[in-house]
Amino acid sequence: MTKTHIAFMSFFLLIVSIAKSQTNVQSDFFSNNNRLKFANHLYNEKDYLRALGEYKEILKLVDNDTIRFRFANSFLKVGRYDEAAQNFKTLFVSSKLQEEAKFSYYQTLFFSGDYNDFRINYDGGFYLPQKYYKVIDRLNSATYFLQQANLPGESKLIKPFDDSVQTKLIYFSQMIKNPPKKNPVTAALLSAAIPGAGKFYSGEITDGLIALGATLLSGFLAVNNFQNNHQFRGWLFTGLTAFFYGGSIYGSAASAKIYNAKLKSDLNKEIKLYFEERNYFLPKIEL
Amino acid sequence: MRSYIKYVFVGLLFFKSVLAQNSVDAQLDYANKIFESSKYFDAITEYKRVLFFSSDKKYYSKLYYQIALCYKAGAHLDEAIKYFVLSEKHASNDSLAFNAKIEIIRCNILRKSTARALQLCNELEDDIRFASKKDEIYYWRGWAFMFADDWENAAKCFSQSKDYNELIMLCGQVVKDKVSVTFAKVISYILPGAGQIYSGKIFSGLMSLVWSLAAGYLTVNAFMANRAFDGLLIAELVWLRFYRGNLENAEDFAVEKNMLAANKTLKYLENEYKGVKP
Repeated sequence: MTKTHIAFMSFFLLIVSIAKSQTNVQSDFFSNNNRLKFANHLYNEKDYLRALGEYKEILKLVDNDTIRFRFANSFLKVGRYDEAAQNFKTLFVSSKLQEEAKFSYYQTLFFSGDYNDFRINYDGGFYLPQKYYKVIDRLNSATYFLQQANLPGESKLIKPFDDSVQTKLIYFSQMIKNPPKKNPVTAALLSAAIPGAGKFYSGEITDGLIALGATLLSGFLAVNNFQNNHQFRGWLFTGLTAFFYGGSIYGSAASAKIYNAKLKSDLNKEIKLYFEERNYFLPKIEL
Repeated sequence: MRSYIKYVFVGLLFFKSVLAQNSVDAQLDYANKIFESSKYFDAITEYKRVLFFSSDKKYYSKLYYQIALCYKAGAHLDEAIKYFVLSEKHASNDSLAFNAKIEIIRCNILRKSTARALQLCNELEDDIRFASKKDEIYYWRGWAFMFADDWENAAKCFSQSKDYNELIMLCGQVVKDKVSVTFAKVISYILPGAGQIYSGKIFSGLMSLVWSLAAGYLTVNAFMANRAFDGLLIAELVWLRFYRGNLENAEDFAVEKNMLAANKTLKYLENEYKGVKP
């Protein structure tokens, strides 16, 4: 081999290398392998919206269970529940991740807030993952606590949870079933008997005292003016007394309703916070 | 011959590394084009892609800066600040660090965290590396004060440079147009309606004065006629009602007038002002 041959070969190699590199200038970044690395990086950084776009492009060329799962899970994380559910469903048959996919499918139903749909699936035993059955069972109970309606028996409701949290859950259950509500009719009747008493009953002590004071004062002024033959002022204060008296009755009924609404709202917040702080008792799945 | 092959091999390696760098540059250009077409979401993705694949730290500051600009354009100011901080941290020279910090100040001005913006301005001012850039620091400090509705201090900051005459004039105009809320209330205590007239609401002020005088006359008249109960009733239900209303109106109208003056200037700055804005 002469020097010329070697020089020619080297030159040829160089040209091939340059040409190859130039065509790869951009395609390298967008090759499926690199795209996957980048998508996983975005996913781990919790930039799910961008990870979605990358996984979508990858799935056009490769169908892989883990990628599909992450793709679906990204939808779940960004709150696009319908698309998440559809993609998890594609992993239900003959996939090594079918148990995780089914579990995540139930999470999708749960976080979408459609608790009735969750229960239809759970009660019908549809797509129930054996491996995560206990977790789904807890989520099912959580739907009742969060919806605060149609609670099943207490033992059934708290059975899926650890002993350490059962006292609190029993308290929530009792508060939902028998909330210490105030009856608006009772409040109105109490105020009809003694102005402001209905407000005391609803916990509005200051309002109750003002209502009592205003009614008594205007009543006294009405009587006093009539006794002194001030007819106009007598009637004026009589009207005022009637106004305060009626207002006290109406206000007491209204305050009892407000008390009940606040009770429900506070309980709702407390339950939501309780489950949120514990991440709804969900296990962490790393895939 | 062996040495010849060695040279060829080294040459190949060199070209390959140059081309790898070219590929990062090309991708960066691609991301910049997306950024220039205002597709900020996609631009962030592409900048993050370069960031992920580039091992050359010289790109980091620029990339973080561009990502931050995209977030800022999308009004995600917290995220923008996070990336400007990273840009400053990886800045390879003082100029890049300064620009990143100025951007952090601008984001703080926009999200109205004035105290933080001013603190960062002070830090920059104390930094000897940026001694030649005092004018720019005064400029952004002035903007921070304007967004905090402190036009007097804003004018003081702008007056530290010769180039900001327009802004000094605008701040001066707002200061001139504004009224003192405390003064409006105090004169209303003394003469009902005076605070409202001072705030430019002449008719409302006169009405307050008339109502207060009439109610005051009725109250005094009732007491003079030994009708103490009537006097107390009129004083509480009529006179004090108008007197208190007069005080509340004096405060509300003064605040409203000040807000109008400030908003007029802010609107001008937003739509007409040609200089750099936060």
